Amino acid sequence: MTGKAKLKTALTGYAFILPTFIFLLWFMYYPVYQALIGAFTDWDGFNAPRYIGLDNFVRLIGDEVLRQSTINALIWVVLSIVLAVVPPFLVAELIFQLKREHAQYVYRTLFVVPIVIPGIVTILLWRFLYQGDGAINQLLEAIGLGSLQQLWLGNPNIALYSIILMGFPWISAFNLLIFYSGLQSISTEVLEAAKLEGATGWKRVWRIDIPSSFPQLRLIIILTLIGSLQNIIPPLIMTNGGPGYSTYVPILHMYNVSTVNGEFGYGMSIALIMFVIILLLTLVNMKLVKSES
Amino acid sequence: MMTNKLAKSSAALVALGLVLSACGGNNAEEGQSASTAPAASGTAGSATGEAGGWKGTITMYAQSYTPNSKNIAGLKQQTGLQDVANEYEAAHPGIKIEFVDEEFKDYTQTVRVKAAAGELFDVFWGQWAELNNTFPKGIAEDLTPYFSQPNPYIPGKATWGDAMNATVVSETKSPEGKSYNINGDYVATAFFYNKDLFAQAGISQPPSSWSELVETTKKLKDAGITAMSQAPDYDWFQRHFLSDFYAKEFEQIAGFDQSPGVSSLDQSVAIVKGMLNTSDERFMGWWPMFKTLTDNWKPDYLSSDPGVVGSNARNDFLAGKTAIFYDGSWLPENAKDANVSFELGSFNFPVLTQADTPYTTGTDVSGAVGGPNAAFQFAVATKQANSTMKEAGKQAAVIDWLQFVGTPANVERIVNEHGTFVPTWPDTKPAESMTELANQASNELKALGVGGSSPNMSKNMQRIFGLYLSGNIDLAKATSDVQKELNSAIKEYQSKNSVDLGKY
Repeated sequence: MTGKAKLKTALTGYAFILPTFIFLLWFMYYPVYQALIGAFTDWDGFNAPRYIGLDNFVRLIGDEVLRQSTINALIWVVLSIVLAVVPPFLVAELIFQLKREHAQYVYRTLFVVPIVIPGIVTILLWRFLYQGDGAINQLLEAIGLGSLQQLWLGNPNIALYSIILMGFPWISAFNLLIFYSGLQSISTEVLEAAKLEGATGWKRVWRIDIPSSFPQLRLIIILTLIGSLQNIIPPLIMTNGGPGYSTYVPILHMYNVSTVNGEFGYGMSIALIMFVIILLLTLVNMKLVKSES
Repeated sequence: MMTNKLAKSSAALVALGLVLSACGGNNAEEGQSASTAPAASGTAGSATGEAGGWKGTITMYAQSYTPNSKNIAGLKQQTGLQDVANEYEAAHPGIKIEFVDEEFKDYTQTVRVKAAAGELFDVFWGQWAELNNTFPKGIAEDLTPYFSQPNPYIPGKATWGDAMNATVVSETKSPEGKSYNINGDYVATAFFYNKDLFAQAGISQPPSSWSELVETTKKLKDAGITAMSQAPDYDWFQRHFLSDFYAKEFEQIAGFDQSPGVSSLDQSVAIVKGMLNTSDERFMGWWPMFKTLTDNWKPDYLSSDPGVVGSNARNDFLAGKTAIFYDGSWLPENAKDANVSFELGSFNFPVLTQADTPYTTGTDVSGAVGGPNAAFQFAVATKQANSTMKEAGKQAAVIDWLQFVGTPANVERIVNEHGTFVPTWPDTKPAESMTELANQASNELKALGVGGSSPNMSKNMQRIFGLYLSGNIDLAKATSDVQKELNSAIKEYQSKNSVDLGKY
């Protein structure tokens, strides 16, 4: 192929991906750029932004609501990661251990089917379950555990945990499939060698399956970290951050200062700080959960 | 190594994109500052009400008065505003009035976004507090100059303002003394009750005093009936109590801005002066008293956001699960729509006595909550918020249409057809269905409260209020948190409005 022909082929390729890149730049990177610049301004979303230097960041330091929100978010992240990793991995392991492929297929399908239910429906359903006279309290009463009845969303000491723990039994279909595909990719030679060395049952899980699932684990931790820090819908719909600020999280604070208070500049500064924190946590995670692939 | 770097970069980009794109948006009209109010040129239309030759479509979002609505939940088929529009169109060939028939779940956000894009409705529903504090400055035309000029459609009045409720106009002015809307109706609030559940508890009469109200809820509770179950709205109840407790200082507080009515500037000055803040024992004095009432309520919603659980609580009442519900004058209409099986009654917030609290002045404050915050509050978009307003003659035509709608006869006709609000302009009468609650609107509007200094102040106060009423914090902690909120709101008010509150 001559140089001219090579250039033509390359240009054709670039021409095909150009529209995608234009949209990517316009809809993803330009708003990000705006948000970065906007963090240093006082902007009400309508009038021209006014550059105010680091004022928004100085305000962040003294913002008590943000402090409380950050603590809530950290609790949320830790518990979310546990729930995103442990139940799906255990179920993936159980399905993987099934001898018949058809049985594996059936169980896989059963766990994945609920993915068709929109998230908002799940949230509204759980809000209903958590009501004072909702199904959870009624069940507790019915089985003689009436003393454990709670105002699940009305008690500031437990409201955050109620929201985090909704979705029992916490089998994320997406995470389940990722772990399952990771387990499937372990070569049969490795599994047979492990068997010969006596690594069976839990020993095999600890020595072979879990170390082999580190790439999946890392991906899920990163996605859960980002997802849980951005997860505005459950606290917004279920409690709007209440009672008090017990379920307030930084993303909700960002939303409220921007859309309720009209302080888009301050909202963007919260977003910028969140980005930096997520980036740092992601890098730490990648350092800690090393893998070859 | 390369893979690792690539992975790190990818993760960083994903995080950056996901987090920050949520915050990014179009910076509409960058470089343009808010429009100033129109010159008081008197070009609001000629003496005959002509629209200066402009022809086209005027868009209007009329909220609860939207005629022939198919998309707004709970609106009955009403034609009043459409009839008015038809008359206007017949008298002004070439001009069409188009009503926006949409339900906006987050109206504030809708207005912000549409204004930023220059696509706000020509005439839009906007309550005074939002126009003065919440919406960005510069999205609505200053209508003050038009109020001091004749309205060609009201021949008997020297100025348009003469046909309006003067107190409402004064109370709803911005800190700079501007009026951004015409305000023609009033929403009343009351305790609505289920007569059947009252009878079951052996209660024959609704309570007429505070102690009777507390006693009634206790009787209901003892009879195994849920007396009340809702998130008590701080913004509403503070106005009942503070309007009473501070009734003697009302003129002083209302006069800080040298204008009648309590504006956000008046509130802010009173906070700074230590009147409407926790150093005055009256300011928090009603909280323990109110808790004696809410202690008889079902606790489920006490610490919740009224915006989140409001419809659940209303549905509980309409379903006959709770005996009393404090709400606006739209409730009887809701009850009718829900075909409730019980007989509905209502009673006003009672007049307090010295036996109830030493802070009371014995003032009737039953009308202090509702006020001019219903649906006949219409504003006109500026050229920055609506690019079509730049068309020559359009702004004058839109103002002319607003003047046509804004006559006592049309206010009465439109408001009364809807049937859940009360027209407030002189020479208007309430609908028959509203006569029981209309006396609230005829009371002198002397409502006091805090909340105008910052858009999120009321929401934050609600959080503290809920925690206190649900027993999660004590009064000392609540008082300290409330003062922090007040201080923070004042700081914000001064910074946003460049006002030196110390000079008042």
